[in-house]
Amino acid sequence: MTAPLLSVRDLRTHFHTFSGVVKAVNGVSFDIGAGQVMGLVGESGGGKSVVGFSILGLIDPPGRIEGGQILLDGQDLVGAPEEALRRVRGRQISMVFQDPMTSLNPLHTVGRQMDEMLRLHTDLDAPARKAACIEMLESVGISRAAERLGAYPHQFSGGMRQRVVIAIALLAGPRLIIADEPTTALDVTIQSQILKLMRRQIADRGASMILITHDLAVVSEMADHITVLYCGKVVERGLTRDVIGAPAHPYTRGLIDSIPDPRHRQTRLSQIPGTVPDIRNLPVGCSFRERCPRAQALCAQADPPLTAQRASLHAACHFPLTEAEAP
Amino acid sequence: MTPMLDVRSLEQEFAIGGGLFDRLRFERGRVLAPRKIVHAVNGVSFTINRGEVLALVGESGCGKSTVAKTIARIYRPTSGEIRIDGKDVAILGHREMLPVRARMQMIFQDPFASLNPRQKVRDIVAEPLLEQTAGRAARAEVTDRTLALLARVGLNAEHAGRYPHQFSGGQRQRIGIARALSVNPALIIADEPVSALDVSIQAQILNLMMDLKDELGLAYLFISHDLSVVHHIADRVGVMYLGFMVENAPRDALFATPRHPYTRALLSAAPTIREKRDVAEIELSGEVPSALNLPSGCCFRTRCPFAWGRCTAERPTLQAVGDDHTVACHLIDEPERDRT
Repeated sequence: MTAPLLSVRDLRTHFHTFSGVVKAVNGVSFDIGAGQVMGLVGESGGGKSVVGFSILGLIDPPGRIEGGQILLDGQDLVGAPEEALRRVRGRQISMVFQDPMTSLNPLHTVGRQMDEMLRLHTDLDAPARKAACIEMLESVGISRAAERLGAYPHQFSGGMRQRVVIAIALLAGPRLIIADEPTTALDVTIQSQILKLMRRQIADRGASMILITHDLAVVSEMADHITVLYCGKVVERGLTRDVIGAPAHPYTRGLIDSIPDPRHRQTRLSQIPGTVPDIRNLPVGCSFRERCPRAQALCAQADPPLTAQRASLHAACHFPLTEAEAP
Repeated sequence: MTPMLDVRSLEQEFAIGGGLFDRLRFERGRVLAPRKIVHAVNGVSFTINRGEVLALVGESGCGKSTVAKTIARIYRPTSGEIRIDGKDVAILGHREMLPVRARMQMIFQDPFASLNPRQKVRDIVAEPLLEQTAGRAARAEVTDRTLALLARVGLNAEHAGRYPHQFSGGQRQRIGIARALSVNPALIIADEPVSALDVSIQAQILNLMMDLKDELGLAYLFISHDLSVVHHIADRVGVMYLGFMVENAPRDALFATPRHPYTRALLSAAPTIREKRDVAEIELSGEVPSALNLPSGCCFRTRCPFAWGRCTAERPTLQAVGDDHTVACHLIDEPERDRT
């Protein structure tokens, strides 16, 4: 196997608040190869967005990357000077945020915001930049692109704005795109348009993507690999079909079972009992044990490490599910 | 038997456009101040029987939440009838609505915004009850009822003295449900009750709502954009688009044999972790038009892959296509135009 494009090793990002240290990301590791799409899933508070922000070096106090490595082509971004990070952001790694209302500047035209990306990261002259912007807007499905460059974000609908955000993210030809809940704010028919657009654009350009979402259905349609986070740790990862088809970790299984299944309609949904524990005050041993139907004495003593299971799966569980127990 | 809720030709318009000076126009030497009208709900009719769950689905701006809020009489409808137990409540005043509200309660989407942050949980839950009895209910009785309700929704007596910010999203939604149940309603209007919650918590709240329905014989008007949730909870499904009801059918019929192109597009667009349903895929281009300027004819024709001349000229009305299954689409008359 060739060296991965991005390799995250034992990343730890903590927030030092008055009420204690929030270990939002606590020892997360994964690799992404060129052209791969990885889904980063989990519930609110799982730490998935913080992973994305950490990669881009966008963690502000009271947060801090406490340890680990983020290797882009073997070069560590943790502790890299701001100047170096600026050359990485946009050009190597770009980001698509959840809310297209707030991720565009309402005071500047769309054209100016697109132009800025090229001005900072390429040597193109003004006419070439304009031509590139028009071409990019057209390729994300915005008609009358030349005219639309002069429009302000409020003149676009939500779906159109997200197309603009994607166009900006793609402009400088990044090799990795981090998309943080890119379609959560959109309606389902628009979501399906945007997901198809992103999949095509990523494939055409040979770029890689980290798709951060809480929606297992979206990742299962988009991603090659899935990494499941719970309380700041990776609890399971593997190929999408293995993770969705026969997960080894009871948390992943619980998430899948919580989605109503139209084929077997029961009167009750299976549910994960309880709520996500306070991350400042995690239980000793496995963080999931208080909600886990399989928990035993061992789970209260030792935090299970992420170990290889069957097929492509890695799971952090003392009593993983077997393939025979698949849903 | 009279249905629990019978909505007939409900229309809801909102005037927008700001103050007089924003709207002032000079045309042909005259001063005009036209009102812009948002046609949020355009002649929607449906019924809900006792113990039945009707889900309204559709994308943002389709008017499903407006229907819910109009029935709950948060808004006064522009026209149409809202019959609860056979009695039209569409134009009742605030005071006359009070006994109606004992029959009908609402659960809101956002568990953070729908609870007063300055009230303790016990006061939040008891408030509708005190309102109904004009504050004359015996204190001990109210306390007992409040604690029983909290226990029923999975909270305990210790929670009664806390404030909303001390609870998680799922627990707050439980408080909202307890508040709605305090007056023993027969109809609950639930506007996206689980869409702000994580999926594992969603399942807990849906299970609670189903248990309560069976136990208390509740009817629900359930507003949601999530088709898998709707498939789980609903007996009947109404699909709305741009303020119109375009299809209304029993759940299984709607999911197995959707007839309206919009319903089919919704079903094929919904991502799923299971195999896709066996329905010919319809992909929509473009976005929902503005409710300020409704298209002529069929509301859906600007995005419909099958639209032809008749769809611009004539607005389709709901017609029966099967057992209790109605659709508003000209394709029903001319099925040969369906090219999938």
